[in-house]
Amino acid sequence: MTKNFKERFLIPAFNTLLPVISALFLGGIIIFAIGDNPFKTYGVMISKSLFTVDGILKTLHFASPLILTGLAIAITFKANVFNMGVEGQMLLGAFFSGVFGFSFDLPPLLHISLCLIVGVITGILFALIPAFLKAFFKVNEMVVTLMLNYAAVEITRYLAQGVFRNPASGDVATYTINSSAMFNKVGKNITAFFLISILVFIFIYILMKKSKLGYEITAIGKNEEFAKASGMRVYRKIIYIMMISGGISGLAGAGWMMSEKYRYTTSFSGNPGIGWDGMLIALLGAHNPVGVLIAAIFYAALKTGSDYINLYTNVPKDIVGVIQGILILFLSIKFINDKTDFLGRMRQRLKSIRGSKGATRI
Amino acid sequence: MSLINNILYDTVYHSAPLILLVLGGIFAYKANVLNIALEGMMLLGAFSSAYFVLITKSLLWGIIVGVILTLILGLIFSYFSVTLKSNFIITGLGINMFTLALSGFLLQFFSIPNINVSSIVSTANLKIDIPFLKDIPIIAPILSGHTFLTYFSFVCIFLAGVLMFKTKFGTYVRVVGENEEAAKSVGIKSDRIKYLAVLIGAFLCALAGANLSVERTALYTNNMTAGRGFIAIAAIYCGRGMPVKSTLYATVFGLTKSLSINLALNAGPVSGLFETVPYVMMVIVLGVVSAIESRRTKLR
Repeated sequence: MTKNFKERFLIPAFNTLLPVISALFLGGIIIFAIGDNPFKTYGVMISKSLFTVDGILKTLHFASPLILTGLAIAITFKANVFNMGVEGQMLLGAFFSGVFGFSFDLPPLLHISLCLIVGVITGILFALIPAFLKAFFKVNEMVVTLMLNYAAVEITRYLAQGVFRNPASGDVATYTINSSAMFNKVGKNITAFFLISILVFIFIYILMKKSKLGYEITAIGKNEEFAKASGMRVYRKIIYIMMISGGISGLAGAGWMMSEKYRYTTSFSGNPGIGWDGMLIALLGAHNPVGVLIAAIFYAALKTGSDYINLYTNVPKDIVGVIQGILILFLSIKFINDKTDFLGRMRQRLKSIRGSKGATRI
Repeated sequence: MSLINNILYDTVYHSAPLILLVLGGIFAYKANVLNIALEGMMLLGAFSSAYFVLITKSLLWGIIVGVILTLILGLIFSYFSVTLKSNFIITGLGINMFTLALSGFLLQFFSIPNINVSSIVSTANLKIDIPFLKDIPIIAPILSGHTFLTYFSFVCIFLAGVLMFKTKFGTYVRVVGENEEAAKSVGIKSDRIKYLAVLIGAFLCALAGANLSVERTALYTNNMTAGRGFIAIAAIYCGRGMPVKSTLYATVFGLTKSLSINLALNAGPVSGLFETVPYVMMVIVLGVVSAIESRRTKLR
């Protein structure tokens, strides 16, 4: 039982916490290097996002799209498919849900559902391009999706500058969506969009843990050749996975449009974008739905807190992006493996160095 | 006529940094550590060379410091992906995000919107006319009047070909990529080869970045590399890591980029959409090449 406990909880927890602590530590060094107090900076971040009711609600509100993009990436990573186009799928979903949001005037419930569906469909359609290329021509999906992201940014910018531009606005922006398409804020910060994210989370949890497709995703991710040999239609499954991923990404964009931004600007997704945050969250959550949920809330807390650090310190807000990059670097290595642990490996290395030195001496 | 001339001149101009990136990527590709971090390395090269030109007030020193910093980034990448055996795709993406965030963070900290070095570097003086070439009527306006690194990038195609196929190092790189265990068994230090392959990439990426920011426009703007690293990866995939073949695909991007810029001048309102053409073109090229490839393997 103790061994089971160690394998199931201790090692994953350690593998997640160690990179987080190291990244925060290195981020602290950078903050110190530019002449500020890292403890104060982190203190402001955490106290503003987690220690007040308003802060927690705001964190959950920020977490809503991040849960979705995190899940969208996690489900493809689990199958060893690299859908790096979540950012682009999210942007296009947001844009077209926004277009439907300001072009129509419908009863609220109908209007909101219409816009959400538009976002989902846009995301799915955009994700189908790399999916078909992968399934029929074996084109590397990672390169294609990375490049389509840039195409998506340019397309939305073009449309926001031209056809759908709001002339009354100073910078490049579309019209504001009609109030019937907006999620009402419950209290100060949170909207029903958070509930939708949780529903999608439950759906994905069941899909990945209990369904046949979830089993197949894991099988494809572990060994694609074996999955093929045992009779799975791998490429059809990859198309399904990409569709689910694209749909969730589109939903994330649509929801964020209707609950927070209300209009499309070139800085809609922030820097780094919501889709890229999703990659960090998927890695931090180890491609596991529950892990993704926790990671999304943790990361949203960092992001919410970063809005306040400018008020109390001189540290630029982008420090979160820097920490994010370092964190991804650390998450790419497994500190403790199932078989060999990091410390063990270091010990072995020391031994081998000593051994080789001894050999040369003789 | 002048439009065609402009298009061809710009093709050379836009291809140059991509060629450097592609040549920097092929060694890592052949050694089986796909360097997704080309984008980030180029961005760091562009940022740090521009910044240190501003600090040192010297073009040469700025580029040298930029190269050194990018080499350090290359060391970090190879330490993670070779020594610590990380998932190198994730490591590369992490490096891309880190450099993008760090450069944005530093710009915010210095509270400047971009790094303008036009007071130190005169871009007009950096354009070199080649003595004999500049007198040939049709070719001169296309091939002459480029910057040093642009010429250097085309020389590099030849150098990379020699290094890849005519030297011991190139053979080792290919052997390590084909079969690492076999390479180890005959005494090749595979880790060292991989480190070198990545570091060559970092060096050329730094030069590509310096070409983009300092040498061409004397200006660094945030995220100015705009996905060129990923386009280089696509070109490498299309050309299977062969120096000449991969650079040809890179020039396809240079051509579409220059077409989209030159034609956008006359296109009126749709011109904004032309920005997408290079990326879409690369996806199509990748699709066609992979389709032909997969049909060929099926026939066998």
